[in-house]
Amino acid sequence: MVVGLRVGVCLLAALAVPVVAQTDGAAGVAIPATTSAINSATSLSQRVVAYDMDAKYNAKTHSLDATETLTYHNLTGQALDTLPFHLYLNGFQPTSTWIREGKRWNSYGPDLGTWDPKSYGAEEIKSFEVVGQGDFTSQLQFIHPDDENKDDHTVVQVHLSKPIPADGYVQFKIKFRDQFPEALARTGWNHDFVLGGQWFPKVGVWWHGAWNCHQFHFDTEFFADFGVYDVKLTVPQYEVVGASGIEVGSVNNPDGTKTVTYHGDDIHDFAWTASPHYLIYNDTFQGSMGPVKLRFLMQSAHWGQAERHARIIKETMEHFDRWYGPYPYKTLTIVDPEPGSAAGGMEYPTFITGDTRWFIPKGLLWPEDALEHEFGHQYWYGMVATNEFEDAWMDEGVNQYTQIKILDSIFGASTSLVNMWGLTAGQVDQARTGYEGVADLDPLAKNGWQYADSNSYGGITYFKTALSLLTLEGVIGEDTMRRAMHTYFMRYRFTHPSKEDFLKTIEDVSGQDLRWYFSQAVYGTQVLDYEVMKITSVPVDWYKENLNEKKGETEYVSNVWVRRKGEFVIPIDVEVKFDNGDRVREHWDGQDRWVRYAYQKKARVESVEVDPDHKIYLDRNNFNNSRIAEPNGQPAGKLTNYWTCISQFFAQFLAWWLV
Amino acid sequence: MNGKTSLVAAGAAIVRRNKRYVVWFYLLNLAFAHFGASSFSDAAHGILDHSLYADKLLHGFSLGVFLELLVRPEFGTLPSATHPAMLFAVVFLLASLLFMPGVLLGYASDHGLPRDEFFRACGRNVWPFVRLSLFFTVFAGSMAGILFAGLNALVSAADKTSNERLPFFTQLIGSVFILLVLTIIRMWFDVAQTDVVLRDQPAVRKSIVAGFRKTRRKFGRLLGSYLVIAIVAMAVLVTGILLWYAIAPSSSVLGAFIIGQATMLLLLATRFWQRATAVACYAREITEPVADEGRSIPGFAAPPVS
Repeated sequence: MVVGLRVGVCLLAALAVPVVAQTDGAAGVAIPATTSAINSATSLSQRVVAYDMDAKYNAKTHSLDATETLTYHNLTGQALDTLPFHLYLNGFQPTSTWIREGKRWNSYGPDLGTWDPKSYGAEEIKSFEVVGQGDFTSQLQFIHPDDENKDDHTVVQVHLSKPIPADGYVQFKIKFRDQFPEALARTGWNHDFVLGGQWFPKVGVWWHGAWNCHQFHFDTEFFADFGVYDVKLTVPQYEVVGASGIEVGSVNNPDGTKTVTYHGDDIHDFAWTASPHYLIYNDTFQGSMGPVKLRFLMQSAHWGQAERHARIIKETMEHFDRWYGPYPYKTLTIVDPEPGSAAGGMEYPTFITGDTRWFIPKGLLWPEDALEHEFGHQYWYGMVATNEFEDAWMDEGVNQYTQIKILDSIFGASTSLVNMWGLTAGQVDQARTGYEGVADLDPLAKNGWQYADSNSYGGITYFKTALSLLTLEGVIGEDTMRRAMHTYFMRYRFTHPSKEDFLKTIEDVSGQDLRWYFSQAVYGTQVLDYEVMKITSVPVDWYKENLNEKKGETEYVSNVWVRRKGEFVIPIDVEVKFDNGDRVREHWDGQDRWVRYAYQKKARVESVEVDPDHKIYLDRNNFNNSRIAEPNGQPAGKLTNYWTCISQFFAQFLAWWLV
Repeated sequence: MNGKTSLVAAGAAIVRRNKRYVVWFYLLNLAFAHFGASSFSDAAHGILDHSLYADKLLHGFSLGVFLELLVRPEFGTLPSATHPAMLFAVVFLLASLLFMPGVLLGYASDHGLPRDEFFRACGRNVWPFVRLSLFFTVFAGSMAGILFAGLNALVSAADKTSNERLPFFTQLIGSVFILLVLTIIRMWFDVAQTDVVLRDQPAVRKSIVAGFRKTRRKFGRLLGSYLVIAIVAMAVLVTGILLWYAIAPSSSVLGAFIIGQATMLLLLATRFWQRATAVACYAREITEPVADEGRSIPGFAAPPVS
């Protein structure tokens, strides 16, 4: 769908009285045009779904019984007779694709070898009714669109007896039961804490002319349509609850439970959490579309960090608002999950989880790193709702890029991750460390579950993407890049853009054909590595006997060789510095494998540096980007000194105890 | 020896009077660590010496650049740096095992021990010291294994609560307790080693029993002394790190070297102080008659306190 038409549909949906249903069975149904959860008088997205759910959580068994009424608006332009649904919690079973991939990669994550069956998760549909067409419970079929694993039950499909016409509505009434897993990743319980993520049957997305409803994979995340959520959560009265959207009511029940009601507009998922131990810290961010209520659910041991959490969230929101576009929702819930629960560092619409510990010093910006990143996903996932299964780099990587920009802006480029005890590390350092080991394994443009392994998935989707965009800044300019990101956000918010939508936006805004770059950085696996090969400075009168070299008087012929070691071709600058202080800048298109520069001056070459402005972040090896004529042993001497002391200490420790 | 002088002071006096042992052991420690660091040093010099990027390690310390260095293929694998260091740590351990009998004899002597006596003591007691170390390793290792297993169970139980600090403090307090137990065992074997050297008898098991009895008899004073010295050792380490951080400019390789080596020297001295304390305790044991074991060792002179 072209951009203009998409915007038009949104406006129509927002301004009109709710459209009446057009199918036999779903007469009178529509997607509500409510706006109470957003700072906007009109709806912001093309609303495809409306979820109305009533769920009762049993804190003792970590299970949940719920009813779900899903209204689906068929905006595919064609009649639909088949709809797939995600049942993500079934991924937490020993034969699922999620677990099999985790076992296969075995590169990080939980110790699945000792997985207690009591900790499994499950999502069971008790009944499935299509309004006007009858009960389809017995006709549901598990499908496996991504692999041949017939034991994977994370996607179920229903074949309707009557197709939904184009622009028609259909309504499903589903009863289901969840067994939350002990949290292994993103969702589940830990002690008396629970995070309810991916907990309800969720319809797939019709995208590019087909259903897009992938199985739950070990690394990949999610993809869903925008809509309206009305959710009633019944939990024990002692629980403190937080959820996506705005809280619209809370009623105590006679049986010791309470029912808390939430409403969300223009979101594509709904998550919630409950724990008796949360302490609530409230704050407000004044955004350009209106005030945003910030609600922090803190662990009591982290209460002293509440203001620290609030500060980074507000600074991050201010940067996003100023650089990329407004945050339109009225709320943001920030959850400080149970430590060690594997639920930290996760994003859901208007709901994020941070990650901290009680002992984190101020100079270790781990909480800030997590909070900024997860808030960033409100933009790159939450509003610009890319397909996280197929284009993980577009949410994780683009988000990592903006994270680097924002945290560097707040804390300084070299200290935006660690700044204590004389040790420093920046966001770029983190990205480079993650990227270098996997630089040539996979391209960005690849299905998330088809990467070589989890290290490659993380190193490429998060870090190579970020470094590629930072390097692109060097090509088109920082201001242009920021305008491109702003344009991309404003153009594609509340839609599902593809990778080409993103890349073309950058080309549009920059006015440049950047295919040469994208074909290598996005679609290719070429490695970028330039090297200063060699420096020589020889006196012109080298042949004379008793040559007496004098600084500033003796004339030298100097040669400098620069080499492209990798396959990635990018134009570079080279700076040659002479021992009389002169500097010469060269520009090389990098097409050949090497280039030589020759000079005749009354000075020797002192040093040569490729990329002297440090704009090429993708270069795999920064050490060989420069060469100094006279070696300087001090840095290595410093490290050797450290290492010697550590070795001495270790030897003394051994002797202390054993002799 | 003045029996009223504290063991800590008596031990300190012995170490002060025999400074050369600490200095020689320190030089061995430094030399072996230098050999152990050579492959690390060669690899680091090969990558950093000609690079401007290395400046981020000299002025300040960029963790990111350091990690980039470690993952460079030309730097080699991490074991290629750690294995030589471990190997030479073991060599230092063996050297300590070899020369410690001479040190203990020197500590017990009221005059400067002649070189030939020193080496004779070393040679004569190699095998008993090896056996003592094996006994210690088996006994202390078993004890540590049992205690750590118990501690892990406690930490796991603490981990099941919602109190985030509880597992940490359980681990901390449990570890301190285990260190205390290991210190007591070490103290016992230090006295046993002294017994082997000073009684000049190869029956290690007898020395272990004797060490146990003497340690039990002076348990409070000896343990107190060991703990005081251990606290001094920790203070030395912390002070050294703080001075390194606060005083030495990040680009001053020499300044950091001096502070680092001074810390290592003093740290080593604290362990010798503990040993001297054990020798002083042993000497008092045999010069103060007791009901059940009031005998002296022929030819042994109790070390004076100056």
